[in-house]
Amino acid sequence: MGPFVKTLFGDARNVAVVAVLLVLEVVLLRAGYGHAATVLVPLATFAGVAVLARG
Amino acid sequence: MVDWSVAVPSFLTALVEWVEAFTIVLAVSLSIGWRAALGASLAGLATLAVLTLVAGRLLLTGLDIGTVQLVVGVFLLLFGVRWLAKAMARHAGLKPLHDEAAEFEQTRAGLRGEYAAGWMVAYKGVLLEGLEVWLVVVALGMKTADGAGMASSAGAAIVALLLTCAVGAAVRAPLQRVPENAIKFAVGAMIVAFGTYWTMEGIGGPDTWPLSDWTLPLLDAFYLVAGLAVATVMRTRVRMRREAV
Repeated sequence: MGPFVKTLFGDARNVAVVAVLLVLEVVLLRAGYGHAATVLVPLATFAGVAVLARG
Repeated sequence: MVDWSVAVPSFLTALVEWVEAFTIVLAVSLSIGWRAALGASLAGLATLAVLTLVAGRLLLTGLDIGTVQLVVGVFLLLFGVRWLAKAMARHAGLKPLHDEAAEFEQTRAGLRGEYAAGWMVAYKGVLLEGLEVWLVVVALGMKTADGAGMASSAGAAIVALLLTCAVGAAVRAPLQRVPENAIKFAVGAMIVAFGTYWTMEGIGGPDTWPLSDWTLPLLDAFYLVAGLAVATVMRTRVRMRREAV
């Protein structure tokens, strides 16, 4: 089961980055900051990618 | 009509994964024979086909489009973020490039004619590499509701499989000349773009992105250019640090 779960979800850091991004999306969109979210979410996503890349 | 915005990323993703699966199957075939390795590969592909049918049914039955976009978008983010980060780390020299020849030797050395173990390695290799192909094919195929996206996505993955099999059968060696990291960089950026777009639309509704579908190429370009720029800066720093030691 382990290899399948890792293939689908990645490691814990990967899951944590995506979870933070989803929380950010929900908070911004539900609070009515839709336009800000279209800029902030891609920036935050890239920041998460860069953190993972650094290892 | 082929939807190229879906077919191209599906083809490239599938090509990288099928090449990795081919390396494993080739190594196993030298241990347990071609017929057994081929049988294990076909069993892996059959399992993937069943998964595709089941997932397709589950996604299309009783779920509203927003929920489907959110679920698919989350998986695309989980997958794309990983690929893009790995490609950046490899570009920067923080992680070694994937070496098909080394993978081939490692798999071959681990098997000493044990039939059942070899069969399982080939089966799991095709299944796990194919699982990533399946994920991207299904996720990108959901772009259009009329089935054209799914046909383009699945068709592109099948073309990549046939191409890998044809070239692999011709050279009978690990396919080392595929520019894996460049493909992972480009596809990683595309998949993260799709993931961002769909999770936001799944949560916020169809009017979340002011430019609608035109947002996708913009997001893709942003992730690609920013990824290359940051990875290049990281590579310079890594070199300077190594020279200083």
